[in-house]
Amino acid sequence: MKKLISLCAVILLAATGIALAAPKTIILATTTSTQDSGLLDVLVPQFEKESGYKIKTISVGSGQAMKMGEKGEADVLLVHSPEAEQKFMTGGFGVTRRLVMHNDFVIVGPTSDPARVKTAKNSVDALQRIAKSGALFASRGDNSGTHAKEKGLWKGAGISPDGQKWYQQTGLGMGQTLNVAAEKKGYTLTDRATFLALKKNLGLVILSEGDSKLLNIYHVIEINPAKWPKINAAGGKSFADFMVAKKTQETIGRFGVEKFGAPLFFPDAGKNPASLGL
Amino acid sequence: MTVPLLEARNLSLQRGGVDVLKSVSLTVRENDVLALIGSNGAGKTSLLLALARLLPVGKGDLLVNGEAVRGGRAELGYRRRVAMVLQEPLLLDATVTVNVATGLSLRGTPRKEQQERVDEALERFGITGLSRRSARSLSSGEARRVSLARAFAMRPEIIFMDEPFTALDLPLREALLLQLTQLLHSEGITAVIATHDCREVLQLCNRLAVMNKGRLIGSGTPDEVLMNPPDDFSAAFARYAHSFNCTTRG
Amino acid sequence: MELILDGIIEAVRLLLSGDSEVLAVTWLSLKVSGLATLLSLLIGVSSGTVLALATFPGKRLVAALVNTGMGLPPVVVGLFVTIFLWRNGPFGHFELLYTPAAMVIAQGVIATPIVTGISMAAIQSLPANLRLQILGLGASRPQMVWLLIKEARLPLLAAVMAGFGGVISEVGASIMVGGNIKGQTRVLTTATVMETGKGNFDTAIALSIILLSLTFLINLLLTIIQQKRRPR
Repeated sequence: MKKLISLCAVILLAATGIALAAPKTIILATTTSTQDSGLLDVLVPQFEKESGYKIKTISVGSGQAMKMGEKGEADVLLVHSPEAEQKFMTGGFGVTRRLVMHNDFVIVGPTSDPARVKTAKNSVDALQRIAKSGALFASRGDNSGTHAKEKGLWKGAGISPDGQKWYQQTGLGMGQTLNVAAEKKGYTLTDRATFLALKKNLGLVILSEGDSKLLNIYHVIEINPAKWPKINAAGGKSFADFMVAKKTQETIGRFGVEKFGAPLFFPDAGKNPASLGL
Repeated sequence: MTVPLLEARNLSLQRGGVDVLKSVSLTVRENDVLALIGSNGAGKTSLLLALARLLPVGKGDLLVNGEAVRGGRAELGYRRRVAMVLQEPLLLDATVTVNVATGLSLRGTPRKEQQERVDEALERFGITGLSRRSARSLSSGEARRVSLARAFAMRPEIIFMDEPFTALDLPLREALLLQLTQLLHSEGITAVIATHDCREVLQLCNRLAVMNKGRLIGSGTPDEVLMNPPDDFSAAFARYAHSFNCTTRG
Repeated sequence: MELILDGIIEAVRLLLSGDSEVLAVTWLSLKVSGLATLLSLLIGVSSGTVLALATFPGKRLVAALVNTGMGLPPVVVGLFVTIFLWRNGPFGHFELLYTPAAMVIAQGVIATPIVTGISMAAIQSLPANLRLQILGLGASRPQMVWLLIKEARLPLLAAVMAGFGGVISEVGASIMVGGNIKGQTRVLTTATVMETGKGNFDTAIALSIILLSLTFLINLLLTIIQQKRRPR
């Protein structure tokens, strides 16, 4: 009997040992695209070293990230869904929102390009062609920033894809959605960074790009501690400051050049949002 | 008059909603070998379990050397002075040696002493050759002797046995009777044995008690009881004993 | 087919080269699931034994609940543990969410009913009078319980293996309560999902093979213990 109790105690200690080892932590809720591109794998260790904080990076869709912010379950957000973010800020959930970087979305599809997207005039035209040809389109369907951008584009094109046979909502992350599109030889909207990182396995090509509507803009939002006292406000500010700091911005600008021949993200801290069409 | 070793006063017990013991009183003196006889369902097993303090009694007292056994500590102390051998030889999934040593290891007997007592008990029951065998591989007769050896190895003050001779073939019965006679009589171990077997009863036991539907309806020396059998069962028992010309012990 | 072969080669390469990330992930898998199984063993075997031996009103209801618990969907456990552990939840101030401790808790909750249910059945399958006989040899109650547990060691070890198997392979709850954070809460299963999602199929297969081999080795060890010491 005594053996049982002491064994339980040892286990509890071991478990708490695992838990208590961490210094003051920051919960960063961000999107799967920033995670999958590998950018955070570079920035996070840098930040931890400089600041002494430990970051827990939880990558979910922008929608879920903002919900976590609303519930005070994250300290700082790095997201890319401007309209939803604005609602978030008007709701008073965030205390500051700063521009960090952008990249762009592209429409990718099979090399055979049955809907003839390659010759489309712009992104709206491209989507109209896809809808008309009934070619398969894979959507994230998960309220992520990418999904929000995609919905906006359909709206702008005057098309309602929901419920149509060729429109398939995966509810999954970008990498997996790209896999689905690749497997089914369909089209999808993706951020350039993720696409470049996964290109080699996919067999898809970029068919529409460069449209100003396809800009993908990232902001860092510090959660409002007034709503949730348990927020690590100092930590959140520290990370947000880090993201817009000159050195970090330079790192962001260089990321991916060696591996892919082109940068995956474009640093924008301090710029006038209007210049990006916001 | 000396205080009896074991005394039961008005023991009553219910099992599964049925009254299996109804106000049973009896005494067991040191060195007694008491036989409990009665038809199936008369309550012999229940009485044994109650006397061995393995079943909590509803009403009544159990006194050991005049003192009542009450409370967890006292009960454990008492249970460590006695031993119970159930009808079915429930052995552990281990070797015979480990099985026979069970009671000793429960009491924390030192290893060396355990081995000595085990060897002695195995020899008493003629099963030394089985010491390394797995309990699962034994025949029923061998298993029975192992379970008896297991109880005797502890040298209990009182031993309770439930039908030790059941389902044994004749040669085994003879052998077991001899072994038990030696053990009980020469070592002076007190015993209470529930049994059907007439010959074994009369050879081993100096006291006899008759149970009927949960009540103790008669007790005394075998001669006394069988001269005036209190019910049909004991009457048949007496006739059987007489026809075999069994000599009683006393 | 080629992909699987590539995966096997990649698995061996990763292990032999001592790739630190793979080793870290493997070691964390072992630690978390090992601890969870140990916890479930202690709680499960003792509760299962108590349930088997005790009689009380409502015993059948409790047994039914335990048996239902054996089939608890891990992802549901993950959801509820998350709700309990997040900052503004009842246990928020322990700051356990997104730590290995949270994963141990979630996996423990998943494994415990499994071990309890099988233990309960194991003890109940022992001969009914064995308990009495052991007491009749002078055992105290704790001694009796211990002997019964030893008697039932075969099915009880099966219970442990079932519990372990259930949690080492678990992914839904582990992602939810752990967050799959690199270097902190990433284990073999969650890493496999992530690598698959990224399209790195060879890495994903390699991780799967490591996971399978690990599970096999541990079960081999437990099986040897379970089946040993059976005298002729």
